Amino acid sequence: MAEGATGKRRSKDPWPPVRPGLGAWWRDHLRIARETVHFVSARLGTSLLVWLLVGIALALPAGLFLLQQNLAEMTEAWDGRPGLTAYFDLDVDPEEIDAAVASLAAKSQVEAVRVTDREAALAEFRAFTDLANALDLLDSNPLPASLKATLISDVSLEDLEALRELADGLAGVAEVVVEKTWLERISDISTVVSRLGVILGLLFGVGAILVTATSVRLAIEARLEELRVLRLIGATERQMRRPFLYFGAFYGLGGGLVAAMLISLCLVVVEAPLSNLLGSYAQELDLVGFDPIFLGSLLLLGGALGVVGAQVAASQRLKDLEIL
Amino acid sequence: MPQIEFHGVTKRFDNGQEALAEVNAEFAEGSMAFLTGHSGAGKSTFLKLLLCLDQPSRGQILVNGVNVTRMTGGRLAHYRQHLGAVFQDHHLLSHRSVYENVSLPLRISGMREKDVGRRVRAALSRVGLLEKERLFPRYLSTGEQQRVGIARAVVTRPKILLADEPTGNLDPELSRDIMKLFEQFNQVGTTVIVASHDRDLIESMGVRIIELDQGAIVRDGVDARVDPRSHESAERHQTGLPDG
Ligand SMILES: Nc1ncnc2c1ncn2[C@@H]1O[C@H](COP(=O)(O)OP(=O)(O)OP(=O)(O)O)[C@@H](O)[C@H]1O
Ligand SMILES: [Mg+2]
Repeated sequence: MAEGATGKRRSKDPWPPVRPGLGAWWRDHLRIARETVHFVSARLGTSLLVWLLVGIALALPAGLFLLQQNLAEMTEAWDGRPGLTAYFDLDVDPEEIDAAVASLAAKSQVEAVRVTDREAALAEFRAFTDLANALDLLDSNPLPASLKATLISDVSLEDLEALRELADGLAGVAEVVVEKTWLERISDISTVVSRLGVILGLLFGVGAILVTATSVRLAIEARLEELRVLRLIGATERQMRRPFLYFGAFYGLGGGLVAAMLISLCLVVVEAPLSNLLGSYAQELDLVGFDPIFLGSLLLLGGALGVVGAQVAASQRLKDLEIL
Repeated sequence: MPQIEFHGVTKRFDNGQEALAEVNAEFAEGSMAFLTGHSGAGKSTFLKLLLCLDQPSRGQILVNGVNVTRMTGGRLAHYRQHLGAVFQDHHLLSHRSVYENVSLPLRISGMREKDVGRRVRAALSRVGLLEKERLFPRYLSTGEQQRVGIARAVVTRPKILLADEPTGNLDPELSRDIMKLFEQFNQVGTTVIVASHDRDLIESMGVRIIELDQGAIVRDGVDARVDPRSHESAERHQTGLPDG
C-alpha cells in the first residue's frame, strides 16, 4: 500500500502515510462495504433497475452459450456414430435383405448393421407416435423393413457418398437416407449460434459495462460534495474510487444473479417443446452446462464487468473534479 | 529552517488575472499569522496554493524543505492528511452527523474505531460541541457549523492549520471566540495561518499580519495598533516588499 514511497524516501518523508498498516486497509474496505450496502438499500428502486438491465445484457449471450454447449454436445454424440439407413421395398425378398446386409457389413467403414423388419418398424412407430390408432384403419402394415448401418466415427464425406450409392444400387432397396445431412445442419446451427454468441457477448458485455458505468456515474454525481471533502482532507485516489468499485461489483453481481434467474426461467419454458423437438434423435433431453460452475462464472463475469464499468466512470469523473 | 516558505510565488489564471505576484514569505514552526487584504487581494489563492488545490504559475512553496507545488497522487494525499483546513462555507457533509463529519479524516487515515471515538470526542469538546455529536449539520447554527468544521480540521492533530475566512458569516462575538480557538491550537504548537478581512478583529489579536494587495505583500509584521497612515502608504506602494 506504500504509494511510491520507498523505505529510504520514507525515512526522509516529512509526510508519511498516517495509516497504520494492513489493518487500516481492511478497516477501510469494511467501512466502504457497509456504506455501499447502506447507499444501495437506500436506493432500492434504482438498484433493482440496474440489476435488471445488467441481467438482461448478460442473459442473452450466456443463454446462447448454453444453447451452443448443448448443440455441441448433441452433434458430438451423433458425430461419433454417423449412420446410413436403407429402406427396402415392401415386397422385398428376405434373401435380398441378407445380401444387402452382407455387402454393407463387408465395407471397412461400416461398424455394424442392424435390420428392422416390418413388424418391428410397426411396433416402434406405435411406441413413438400418437397416430398409431390410424394404422388400425389400414388393412396391412404400410411400413417397410429397413437396415441401419452404423459407420466408423471418422468416415469421410466421399466414403459416405460411395456407401450411399452402393446401398442405393442394392436389389430390393427403395430409398437410402444418410443421417449426415442432419448432423451437418445441427453443427452448422451450432457454429452460427456460437459466433452469434461471441458477437452478442461482446456487444452486450460492453452494454453491461456502460449500464454500470452510467449508474456509478450517477452515484458519483450524488456524492460530489463528499468527494470534494475527501480529496481536501487527504483521501487517496484509490480510497475515493473504492466505494464506486464496490457499487460496480454490487450492480454486476446482482446483474449476474438476475441473468441466472432469467436463463433458468427460459429453460423451464423451453424444456418441454425442446425435448419434443429432439425426442426422436436423442433418447432423452439432458441439458448440459447449467451447473454451479456456469452460475459462478456468470456471477463473477457480472461482477468483473461491473467493476470495469465503475473504474471507467470513476477515473473519468474524478480526474476533472475541482475541489473548491 | 522555516516550516513554510513561499519563494517568488506568482499565480496567473488563464484569463490573465494575476492573483499572486512574486510573493515571498516564511512561517516558522508553531507560529501564527493572519492574511488580510481587500476582496480579490489573493488571500484564498495563497491558501489554496499551500493546500495544493492549485499550482503556482511561477515560484516554489517549500514545506519542511520539500517543494509541494508539483506533488501528485499518494504523496499529495498524504501531505494533505498532515494539514488541517477550515473554510467559510465549512464544507460539511449534510447527510452525515456531526460525529461522522469530524471522524472522516481519521477514517481516511485508517485509525481504529475506538481511537476514532476518543479523538473525535476530544476535538468536539475543544470546540464545545460534545453534546451535539448526533445531530446533522443543518440543525446547527452557523457558528456551530463553523466549529464542527474546525473540529474536523484539528481532529488529526495537524502540524499546520489553515483557515480561509473562518468567521465570514459570524457576528463579532462569535468571531472572537473562533479566533480564540485558533490561538489555543497555536499555543499547543500548531502553525496557524488564517485569512480574514475582518481588520478590527485581527488587529486586536496581537499576531503577525500579512497584508496582500492585488497579489503582492504590502505589509508583514506584528502590529497590534491600527495605523491608518501605514495602511494608506502601503496601498500606494503596491509592489513594495517590506522585510518580514
Ligand atoms: N479560477 C480563477 N480564474 C480566474 N481568476 C481567479 C480564479 N480564482 C481567483 N481568481 C481571481 O484572483 C484574484 C484573487 O482571488 P482570491 O480568491 O485569492 O481573493 P481573496 O483575497 O480571497 O478575496 P475575498 O476576500 O473576496 O475572498 C481575484 O481577482 C479573483 O477574481
Ligand atoms: Mg477568499
